[in-house]
Amino acid sequence: MEINIKGLEEALGINVVPTVATKGEGVKELLFTVKKIAGNKEGYKPKILNYGEKIEKALENLEELIKKENMELVAKYPSRWLCLKLLEGDELILKETGLINNSEFLEKLEKIREPLIKTYDEDIESILADIRYGLAHGIVKEMVKKKEKVTSDFTERVDKIVLNRILGIPIFLAIMWLVFKLAFDFGGPFCDWIDGFIGFIGKWVSVGLDNIGAAEWFKFLIVDGIIGGVGAVLVFVPLIGIFMLAITFLEGSGYLARAAFVMDRIMHSFGLHGKSFIPLIIGFGCNVPSIYGTRVLETDRDRKLTALLCPCMSCSARLPVYVLFAGLFFAQYGGTVIWSLYILGIIVAVILGIILSKTIYKGMKPIFVMELPPYRMPTLKYLSIYTWEKLKHFLIKAGTFILAASILVWVLLNIPYGAPKDKTLLAGIGKAISPVFSPLGFGKWEAVSALVTGIVAKEVVVTTMAEIYSAKKEKEVEEKTSFGQDLKEQIIGLSSAFKEAVKNMFSLKSGIFEAEEEEGGWKANIRKAFTPLSVYSYLVFVLLYWPCMVFAFALRAEFGWKLLGQTFLIYTLLPWIMSFLVYNIGKLLEIG
Amino acid sequence: MKLSELKPKEKGKIVKLTITGSLKRRLMDMGIVPGEIVYVEKVAPLGDPIDIVIKNYHLSLRKSEAENIEVEEVK
Repeated sequence: MEINIKGLEEALGINVVPTVATKGEGVKELLFTVKKIAGNKEGYKPKILNYGEKIEKALENLEELIKKENMELVAKYPSRWLCLKLLEGDELILKETGLINNSEFLEKLEKIREPLIKTYDEDIESILADIRYGLAHGIVKEMVKKKEKVTSDFTERVDKIVLNRILGIPIFLAIMWLVFKLAFDFGGPFCDWIDGFIGFIGKWVSVGLDNIGAAEWFKFLIVDGIIGGVGAVLVFVPLIGIFMLAITFLEGSGYLARAAFVMDRIMHSFGLHGKSFIPLIIGFGCNVPSIYGTRVLETDRDRKLTALLCPCMSCSARLPVYVLFAGLFFAQYGGTVIWSLYILGIIVAVILGIILSKTIYKGMKPIFVMELPPYRMPTLKYLSIYTWEKLKHFLIKAGTFILAASILVWVLLNIPYGAPKDKTLLAGIGKAISPVFSPLGFGKWEAVSALVTGIVAKEVVVTTMAEIYSAKKEKEVEEKTSFGQDLKEQIIGLSSAFKEAVKNMFSLKSGIFEAEEEEGGWKANIRKAFTPLSVYSYLVFVLLYWPCMVFAFALRAEFGWKLLGQTFLIYTLLPWIMSFLVYNIGKLLEIG
Repeated sequence: MKLSELKPKEKGKIVKLTITGSLKRRLMDMGIVPGEIVYVEKVAPLGDPIDIVIKNYHLSLRKSEAENIEVEEVK
């Protein structure tokens, strides 16, 4: 392709600097030109587009009208631009200028607009757009010399396979599987290592605080509340980092647009965009990177709607809860029960998507029109900038809130300090709100308290249950080691995490949905506390209420308090209604 | 006829856009203007959206969007 730069400058009346974004060519010249023109505003005289006699006359009349009506506006806006916008009937501008309330002015404006609409038989916005585009295409035709074929043979050949009628969808699913494997099997060992490392820091800070004679409650607040809270944020870093790197790669390479092309038919049927499929499927691993994944979508509507549906995707943190209860109550049918929960989540998402796109998101019209760009290799710089930007956003914008909330939860669990389990603030809250859950079949404070701590992270439901239902407190036995030796073990741990990550990538078995088995007499106590029906109702509630605190604050950081409020409302009412239906229909059918 | 009625491997010349508002603006931004030649490359595996070539680049749009584009068939 060849562009006549000189000719383009003359046609537009402005400076034109050619650049190649991927290679950084011409950026210096561009900055230099910007600086030069900023310093000499009088010399900057771009050509004014002539819209033809009739429209120019109308613009003249309108300008006079505004000058008579309101001088302030003329000072505030470029007058030609303002006139064009008013002529188009741009509602946003009418509102912003307050002219929408001036009925006398609106009447006069209509008198100018009407004859134009009659002569052209089209709305003015389209007339002006046609003229603008006509000119733009004329200039392009004259100044740009293109070779016959721009899209490369390589792109055509890849698309023949990737967009194939039969292979298209399986290939897309295989790529998503690979992304998952990378995040969980490669990233997983690093998450575990960070978890261990935070434990290591906590342990030695606690030793240090002992040495200076700090009060015990203070020590626990620092170690469990604050250091634990920082850990809760950091553990997500490998996961978000890898998911974002993968998505950025798919986007930059050009494949993401193809994925949207292949999946759009399905997603469109419940009000979403083809690209929505990617953040949603990531949700099965973890809902937090899903939020950042919504950035692949172009419109605000699609991004918000997709984010609102993410919590229905049963993330891997919910699995330990399912495994525990399914194992205790459903024996050989456990697998089927767990499978049914995943399916239920998808069904609820589809129904919710249809409802939301016909109610709250009705007014905003979705647009799909999208380029299928030629395939290219994303540069390392592009990948690292975009991944780091999202990680930084998560750490700073969401991290601070998560830390504050962790401390709050610690307080709930431990105040009054040293009280027995059924006398803490948490138990108090559990007891106070448990009647709300009676119609769902599990109105016991133990079960409800576990749900409350589950807001931190779903897998915590299991640990809280274990603590509450265990008869006596088990003392942790700590080995005595020196700081140096401990540090050495951490470093060895990091290198073995790396080895494990690499090894995992070459094994077909995936550890994504492996749950840890825990033993203890508390399981027998849980068996006494639930029936199979109330357990299923409880699991449905665990599936559908609030994913976790980290999700909530990442959502707020990305979309603001309003969407967080909507999500909170939906995922408080929805699980209650669903569990109520499950429990009561089950009772009517005399199940359990 | 409408662009959505063209079959894969068929060509058409754009006559008119029969909508207004944001979708029209978006379509024009992407080069769908009267007089241009469009070529329908393929249809997605599930029948919607479609992949067209215009101005030597690939553009995908839903059939419901292509319904708003009036074309005349070019052999």
